[in-house]
Amino acid sequence: MRTYEVFLKKQGKDEFRHVGSMQAPDAEMALPLARESYARRAEGDLMWLVDRQDLIVADPDLIAPNADKPHRHNDGKRVAAKRKDDRATT
Amino acid sequence: MTSNLSPGSAEWVLAFADDEHMIGARHAAWIGLGPFLEEDLAFCSIAQDELGHAIALYDYVTDDLDRFALLRDPSAYRSAWLCELPCDHWDQALVRHWLYDQAEALRWEAVAGSSVDALRDLAARAEREERFHRDHAELYLRRISEGHQDGRDRIEAAVDALLPFACGLWEPVAGEPEALADGVVTLGSEALAEQWTTAIQSELSAWGYEIEWPEAVIGQDQRRARSVEFAALQASLQEVISIDPDATW
Repeated sequence: MRTYEVFLKKQGKDEFRHVGSMQAPDAEMALPLARESYARRAEGDLMWLVDRQDLIVADPDLIAPNADKPHRHNDGKRVAAKRKDDRATT
Repeated sequence: MTSNLSPGSAEWVLAFADDEHMIGARHAAWIGLGPFLEEDLAFCSIAQDELGHAIALYDYVTDDLDRFALLRDPSAYRSAWLCELPCDHWDQALVRHWLYDQAEALRWEAVAGSSVDALRDLAARAEREERFHRDHAELYLRRISEGHQDGRDRIEAAVDALLPFACGLWEPVAGEPEALADGVVTLGSEALAEQWTTAIQSELSAWGYEIEWPEAVIGQDQRRARSVEFAALQASLQEVISIDPDATW
């Protein structure tokens, strides 16, 4: 059995979303089984199946956030405070 | 909604509805028992589609769905024995699914040009689902047939055992001539049986089976007679409703 990751998308602007995983012997069997397992209640109009073996998986260290980079996070508080001051003085 | 179908047309629709109900119930019994989780879900999803068709078809013959579907006298059912059989081995359930869905497609074709508008729409809707049911059955049977001898032997034995019942699907109800005269149905059982036989035989031969076609079809007195398995099936279907037959769901 192979493991497939299932993605569904509704027609329109929504992106494909991961909805779960499933097992099937191969792609030919995976498609109808995914349809009945994940899309039988019309949860999506488009479906992607990705063999888990084909995923490129990043090492968690590679994407671990560096907490010491406040310059990358603008919470807007200082701008908001300045604008508030400006409004008060005019 | 009950419509103004003639008794003959109503009987034709009833037989179709009862077949869908019984096959749906029998397929659904596989929930939790399918060979692996994904197939378990797929087969029971197919069962739900068939029950959905049964509900839509019963709508033409009753206003009291649950009690009508579950509590009739057995002689008032028109289900085919193929649909009533337990088929409690997976190979049999799979082969029946294929034999039945090949026939079901043709029966929807028989009402695709019906004089009843809503039946035509229902046929179109059902066919969109049935395409996947047939693909599902064929996918398994083809792949099993390409595999080990053990699988082939099981499929062959199941086909042998079920064909006489499957051919019995085409024993017409007494009302069929009237249904045809009304234009509610545009193809008779004989024509459908011929198309079905050709389709079944050509797939069997494509998969490399040499099956002897049954000489005797199992007759059911124009579908008025129930199989010996029916009583137990109906009793199991009645388990919930009989707790409180007047409950509203």
